[in-house]
Amino acid sequence: MKRTRSLFTLVGFLALGSVGIAQAGELVVWHAYRAEEKAAFEKVAKAYEATKPGTTVTLLAIPYDAFADKITAAVPRGKGPDVFIFAQDKLGGWIEAGNTVEPIDFYLDEPTKARFIPTTMEAMTYRGTVYGLPMNYKAITLIYNKKLVTAPPKTDVELVALAKKLTDKGAGRFGLAYSYADYWYHASLQNAFGGRVFDAGAPVLNNPENVKAALFLQKWIKEGFLPAEPSTALVTSLFNEGKAAIVFSGSWFLGEIAKGVDYGLAPLPTIAEAGGKPMRPWMTVEGMYVAAPSKQKDLAYDFVKFVTDVKAATVMAVEGRQNPANKKAYEDPKVGKDPILAAFRAQAEVAIPTPNVPEMTMVWSPATTAMNTITRGTSPQAALDKAQAQLLKDVAGLRKRP
Amino acid sequence: MGRPSHRLRFAVGLALAGGLGVGVAHLLLKNEVQQASVAREERKGVVALQALADLVERAGRRGEGIRRAVSAWQGANPSVRLARVVAFEGISLEASTAPEDQGDKAAPRRLSRDEKSLYDLGQRLRTAVTTNREEGGARKEEIEISTTHAGALALAAPVTEDGAVVGIVTVETQPLAAPARPSLLYAILAWAGPLVLFVLLALLVGERRAWLAAVAVSCLALGFGAYAAHSLARVEQERIRSHEAVAEFALAQAGTVRAVLSDLGLAATPPLVPSAWDADAFRRPRGFLTESGKLDEARLRTNADAASGQALRALILAGVVALGLLLAIGLGGVHRVAAALVANRQAYYYVVPAMIGMIVLVFFPFIYGITLSFTDSNLYSVNQPITETWIGLRNYGDILGDVGIAQRAADGSLVFNYLNFYWTLLYTVVWTVTNVTAGVTVGLLLALILNTKGLAGKPIYRVLLIMPWAMPNYITALIWKGMFHRQYGVVNHVIRLFGGQGVSWFEKPFTSFLTALATNGWLSFPFMMVVSLGALQSIPGEIYEAARVDGASRWQQFRAITLPSLKPALVPAVILSVIWTFNMFNIPYLVTQGEPGSSTEILVTQSYKFAFERYRYGYAAAYSTIIFGILLVYGAIQNRVSKATEAI
Repeated sequence: MKRTRSLFTLVGFLALGSVGIAQAGELVVWHAYRAEEKAAFEKVAKAYEATKPGTTVTLLAIPYDAFADKITAAVPRGKGPDVFIFAQDKLGGWIEAGNTVEPIDFYLDEPTKARFIPTTMEAMTYRGTVYGLPMNYKAITLIYNKKLVTAPPKTDVELVALAKKLTDKGAGRFGLAYSYADYWYHASLQNAFGGRVFDAGAPVLNNPENVKAALFLQKWIKEGFLPAEPSTALVTSLFNEGKAAIVFSGSWFLGEIAKGVDYGLAPLPTIAEAGGKPMRPWMTVEGMYVAAPSKQKDLAYDFVKFVTDVKAATVMAVEGRQNPANKKAYEDPKVGKDPILAAFRAQAEVAIPTPNVPEMTMVWSPATTAMNTITRGTSPQAALDKAQAQLLKDVAGLRKRP
Repeated sequence: MGRPSHRLRFAVGLALAGGLGVGVAHLLLKNEVQQASVAREERKGVVALQALADLVERAGRRGEGIRRAVSAWQGANPSVRLARVVAFEGISLEASTAPEDQGDKAAPRRLSRDEKSLYDLGQRLRTAVTTNREEGGARKEEIEISTTHAGALALAAPVTEDGAVVGIVTVETQPLAAPARPSLLYAILAWAGPLVLFVLLALLVGERRAWLAAVAVSCLALGFGAYAAHSLARVEQERIRSHEAVAEFALAQAGTVRAVLSDLGLAATPPLVPSAWDADAFRRPRGFLTESGKLDEARLRTNADAASGQALRALILAGVVALGLLLAIGLGGVHRVAAALVANRQAYYYVVPAMIGMIVLVFFPFIYGITLSFTDSNLYSVNQPITETWIGLRNYGDILGDVGIAQRAADGSLVFNYLNFYWTLLYTVVWTVTNVTAGVTVGLLLALILNTKGLAGKPIYRVLLIMPWAMPNYITALIWKGMFHRQYGVVNHVIRLFGGQGVSWFEKPFTSFLTALATNGWLSFPFMMVVSLGALQSIPGEIYEAARVDGASRWQQFRAITLPSLKPALVPAVILSVIWTFNMFNIPYLVTQGEPGSSTEILVTQSYKFAFERYRYGYAAAYSTIIFGILLVYGAIQNRVSKATEAI
């Protein structure tokens, strides 16, 4: 009895110890992957262990909803992993909170930096310092129903004409459907006009380009080819029922498309009123970061370098269905000739990384309110002025020292 | 137990209280002296560091000249153990006087892997300078000071060229000497003296409690007051010593830098400004030195008042606590509590586990939330200790003091400020009243219908009517939200069937409110129905028979028999429903999401959004405490009122 009890305590302590920061030659990695992505990532980790005998890489899958909070709570207290994978939107906040993400400028050399699509590298940089290496990116692009649309539109004039032809409001059919009231989706239109949220750290929600983009959206809504009050659920169901010919969405949408719908992808159209500039969607870049309290920083960085290298990126792309941030991965025909991956790669050329500054988290609330009033027809200047005032107040409340 | 000895109690009380008071004051003094000593060394370190940075910038930041300058400067500063200059370009160590950086590890060279922390320190300082400049404030520290294992100070400051940070200088002092400790003799004297005095006086006064109390309090005041005055004087002395030492040091540094510059053949233009070297962590000059490096007497005096004010407050607090302890012991309070604990030992043993559970799970989070409401905690400052973010009642002032619910716009119409606390409070009250009324009315109506004798299929109806309550209300909220969609929603579909035009439900505050009311009404009537049904079935049928025989109409029967019998069941249900509806988070959050423009938020959803969408944790905690206060007052009033109705 005593022996089994002490055995249990020993096992218990070992188990406790293995979840946190690991011993020499051991890495603990946290991620939020499921299904195919998880399987592909486990394959990559095993490949790494093969290149470095004596090293063990322990992967821990954590549900996405709780992931960010767990990192915020566990890592600064030294109870987190050595490496973790997350999008760049919380990066600024974690850096400001301190002791969460390790800067990797010191290890980074030019050849490593040059392997990535430049905009994805930008997403990993905060105030001039690089904090992680990009793994993959997500951006919205044009998805169309091949049965209703033979040639996807290249300019907005073509888009409007095609959409109007395919719209029948009474029957509930629309030419174009996307969550235009969601500020993240609207940013693709806004960026075409040269609009932006921050100018050298200062919020500029109500600058003239943003107002122009909002007026342009109102014009689209008035033409009548967009459904009212679009939610992602509505857009998905309309597309699956064949009631929406064209949809602006990303790779997460592809998994929701019904079996019988033959779909194609194309780059977002250019906007004539913006001087022929293309619609530039915001890109969410998933990066691998080294945790600041890690005791294995060199080994962790080595692992990060391995996972973002060509061979591993190809595996993640082909088996995990991710869009790799590594340029060279597209030279492999399995990746480069895949219609979906190639389409998103073409879109990535004009995509802009979502700002990773901590103040970005303050933007969503006033921006959503502004978008809701703008899509109902109120003056964009007034709505954006109000959002700007609210944002300035929220940011000031965050930055002031007592 | 014999008769209590007041003299003994007061003597014990004075001993303990005096010990506590003088002990705390002594600890405070020791702490102050230690902090003053460390602060003095830090200031001198910063002066040396800034002088070196100035020297490096004037000598060209790179090259052989820098190395000569740094070693010359080090030679003239025996209190500094080593100095290093790091340039970002090429990640190189430009100059170093560290004993380990000799031979093949001599500067200039690239930083090695285990010197990564030095490079990261440089990047941090560079980011701090850019951030402060961009924000126009002083949020991030531009000089980092830390203590090494050996007890020395390590300081780092940025080196700029044409406004951009191109590198850093780091300086490590010799291990600091232990600060002088205030003598224990005064403390013991301040404790023992009053005690002896009290014992002598007590012999004179006898057993009269009031007199003894007065004597004990004055003895305590005497001893504690004397020690407090001594402490304050000592602290002031230390302060002046610090300023004088730093001024002297700054003048010496200016001399050193001038000498090194002339050694290198460089003129000291623009002229050196030693007063700028005595700076805080944001490189803002403290202002105690004049341009020439002498002490500024006027500034010294104004600073004195601020510093002593804080020390005085701490001492007063200690004094009050000591006084409280004296009176508690002397007047017999402590004795009574101890006696009660001992007499009811068994009971306390049973209660302790539950008490511990309650304290950990209920009281601690509750107290933490209230403490958080007095701070300015937000996304940036989560890791800072509470004492640094303390702002007192400012959050409450911001919430309750903002009475601007509406303004007149240019065209004369009223524009409401939907984020205002009073608007949200008004809306929450309206929401609660309408919902409870709707729920009770519909529930009562259905209960009356279900209660008719001989109704066929009663069990089926009961099950169907309970369903809204049984389904998870998260899902029903989302379904109802879909039903109110402008184009595809069922509600507008039905309106169009009857020839009307669909309503854009979430466009105006009133229609948005109606959607939430409909959803919550649907969800809340089953509970009221069940309560009413239960109460109705307990009313004996003979009373109705008697009333009918007496010729009462159905309405009179309802008013005279049914309603009063329902009261004992309905009143608790209504109280519960009011509190649940007041705090009903799901429906406003999921159905209207506060649209349009936060006008249909209730207090709890507004508090949630302040905490988790605007990341102002302190403000949201204050909001939640106010909600608790409102419900507490309501509960107290309701209790009193319902006791009156139970008497009927």
